[in-house]
Amino acid sequence: MSDTRLLHAGAWAAWVGAVLVVVTTTRNPWYLGFTLLWIGVVGWAASYAARATNESTDGSTDDTFSASILSPWRFALVVVPLAALFNALFVHVGSTRLFVLPASIPIIGGPVTLEAIVYGALNGVVLTALFAAFALFNRVTPLRDLIRLAPSAYHPIAVTVAIALTYVPVTLRQARQISEAQALRGNRIKGLRDWVSLFLPLLSSGLERALLLAEAMVARGFASAAQPAGMMAQMTLVLGLVLLLAGWMLRLVWSQPLLGGAIMLGGAVLLVGALWVTGRATVRTVYRPAQWRSREWIVVAAALAAIAIFLVPVPGVDRATLYFTPYPTLGIPDLSLLLGVATWALLAPALVLLTTPPADT
Amino acid sequence: MPRTHSTLQSWLSGSIFALTTLIGLAAFLYPFWMPAVAGGELAHSSDSALMLTLLVIACFAVLLVEVQAHAISAKTIALLGVLVALNSILRFAEVAIPGPGGFSPIFPLIILGGYVFGARIGFLLGALTLLVSALITGGVGPWLPYQMLTAGWVGMSAPLARPFVNMVVRALPVRREGAEVVLLAIGGAVWGLVYGAVINIWFWPFVRGNAQMYWEPGISLAETLQRYAVFYAVTSLGWDLLGAAGNGILIVLLGVGVLRILRRFHQRFDFTYSPVPVPAPPRSRQSASQPLEGSA
Repeated sequence: MSDTRLLHAGAWAAWVGAVLVVVTTTRNPWYLGFTLLWIGVVGWAASYAARATNESTDGSTDDTFSASILSPWRFALVVVPLAALFNALFVHVGSTRLFVLPASIPIIGGPVTLEAIVYGALNGVVLTALFAAFALFNRVTPLRDLIRLAPSAYHPIAVTVAIALTYVPVTLRQARQISEAQALRGNRIKGLRDWVSLFLPLLSSGLERALLLAEAMVARGFASAAQPAGMMAQMTLVLGLVLLLAGWMLRLVWSQPLLGGAIMLGGAVLLVGALWVTGRATVRTVYRPAQWRSREWIVVAAALAAIAIFLVPVPGVDRATLYFTPYPTLGIPDLSLLLGVATWALLAPALVLLTTPPADT
Repeated sequence: MPRTHSTLQSWLSGSIFALTTLIGLAAFLYPFWMPAVAGGELAHSSDSALMLTLLVIACFAVLLVEVQAHAISAKTIALLGVLVALNSILRFAEVAIPGPGGFSPIFPLIILGGYVFGARIGFLLGALTLLVSALITGGVGPWLPYQMLTAGWVGMSAPLARPFVNMVVRALPVRREGAEVVLLAIGGAVWGLVYGAVINIWFWPFVRGNAQMYWEPGISLAETLQRYAVFYAVTSLGWDLLGAAGNGILIVLLGVGVLRILRRFHQRFDFTYSPVPVPAPPRSRQSASQPLEGSA
C-alpha cells in the first residue's frame, strides 16, 4: 500500500534544520535572499502537490487554529522595518551618515547611518526566513506525525502531549457551555472578575475529566513507566553530564579546545546511549506507519549536504563571504559560487514533490 | 504518589537535578562569569552560540527523561494532559487577542500547579504548556527549547514558596490561604521579570552593536552587569513589567479558588490500585484473565 503522505515528517524536519543552519551562519544578503526564495518555492510546491493529490494536510490546519498562523509576508512587513529602525537608532557606526540625532538624547543620540539600517534589516530578514521555514513546517506536517517524531525515550511525554492536544477542542467546547450557562443566569462576562467565574468551573470540570480518564487508562492496563529508568541509565546520565561540564570548562577556562571537545563528545555519546537504552524499554505499535521512501532520502541527503558545506571548512569554499558586514562602508557583498549553489539543496522538497507522483498505486 | 526509592537512586536523581541546573545556569549566565575566569582571551566566539544551544538542549533532554521517569503514571498523564490543554488555550487566546506588553496568562496555572503538585509536575506543566501551545499556534521554532526549559524552571521553583508560607503563617496573624496567595503572587511577579531577562540572555552575548549595551569578550563582571542592565532597561523592562504585574494580579484574583480546586483533586488523585488476587483460572481461559496492572 502506498503512503499518501507527501513527505515524511522526518524529512521535513531535516529540511528545516538545514534552513536553520544556513540562515544562522550567515548575514550575506545573497545567501539569505536565495534561501528565502527557495522557502517560497518549496511552500508553493507543497500546496500545489497537496491540491494535486486532493489530500488535506489535516491536523495542523485544523479550522480552529489555522487563523492563528501569521503569514510570513505580514511578519516580514513588521519585523524588517522594526529591526532596521532599532539598529539604526542604537548603532551609530558606519560612514554613510544620513542625519544626526542630537547627542543630548541618551543612548539613541548620534549619527544615523545607512550601514546600520542595512544591518538591522538583514537581521530582520534572518528572522523572517526562520519564521517562514517554521510556518511551512507547521503547515505541512500533521500534529500526530510530529508527536511520532519524538524519540521513544520520551514516550510518556508524547502520550501526554497527544492527550493535551485532544483535550484542547474539548476544553474549548466546555468553556462555551459554561459561558452560555452563565449567560442564562444573567451573568455577562465583562470585567476581569467575571473571567474567574468562567475559569474556575472550567478547571474543576477539566480535572474531573482527567480523573475519569486516569481510571479508564488504568482499567485498560495502561501502566506507563511505573518503573523509573534503571539505575544504570541514571548513572550513565550523571556521568555524561559531568563529562559535558568538564569538557566545556576545559575548552573555556583552560583553553584546551581539542581535549575538551573530545571529552564533551564522550559525554554526549553517553547521554544519547542512556536515552536509547531507556527508549528500548517502551514498545510502541503504530497503525499505518509513515513510510520512508527514496524521496525522503533525497531530501535528507540534500539537507545534510547544505549543512556540511555551511558548517565545515571545506577547501575551495570562501567562508569569508559568510561573515558579510555592511560596516564601515556599504558595498556589494561577495558571493562564493559553491556556497550559493549549496543553498539550492534547500529546493530538494520542491523537486521531489513536483516530479514524482506521491500516490502511485 | 508513594513509591519506594533507594537512597542511591534518590541521590542519583538529586545529582541529575543539580547538574542540569548548574550547566543550564552556566550556559545562560555565560557572559557574566566568563571574563572573570578567562582573563579576556577568547577565541571560540564563533562556535559558542551553537555550543550553548546544544548544552541547553542536552540539559533539557536529561531533565525531561529524569522527571518523566519519576512523575509519570496513568494518573499524572491524565492530569497533565488536561491542565496543559487548558493552559494552552489561555496562550492561544493571548496570541489571538494580544494583551498589554509581556502579559501572558499561562504562568499563574504553572506556578499554582507546581506549588500544589510538586517540582516535577510543575516542571512538566511549564515545559509542556509551551510545547503544546507552540504546536497549536504554529509557534515551533529554535527559541522553543529555551522557552520550555525556562517555563519548566518556573513551575519547578514554585514549591520553594512552601517554607516561606510556613514562616509567614507562624510569624504573623494571617490566614494560610492569604499568605500563600500573596507570596505566590510576589513570586509570579518576580518570575515575570526574570523570565524576560533569561529569555534575552541566550542571544544577547552574540549581538554586536552599541558598546553601551552589548557584550564584548574581555569586559569585567561589573561592566557586563551594567551593560546588560542598560540593554534590559531599554529593550525589555517596560514589556516585562506589564508581564510581572499581570502574573501578580491574576494570581491574586484566581489564587484562592484555583488552589482550593487543585488541592481537592490532589487528594482525589491520591488513590492506588492493587490487583485483587484472582483464584487460579481454568486453563482454557488463561489468556483472558490476566490481572490488571496497577500503577501503584
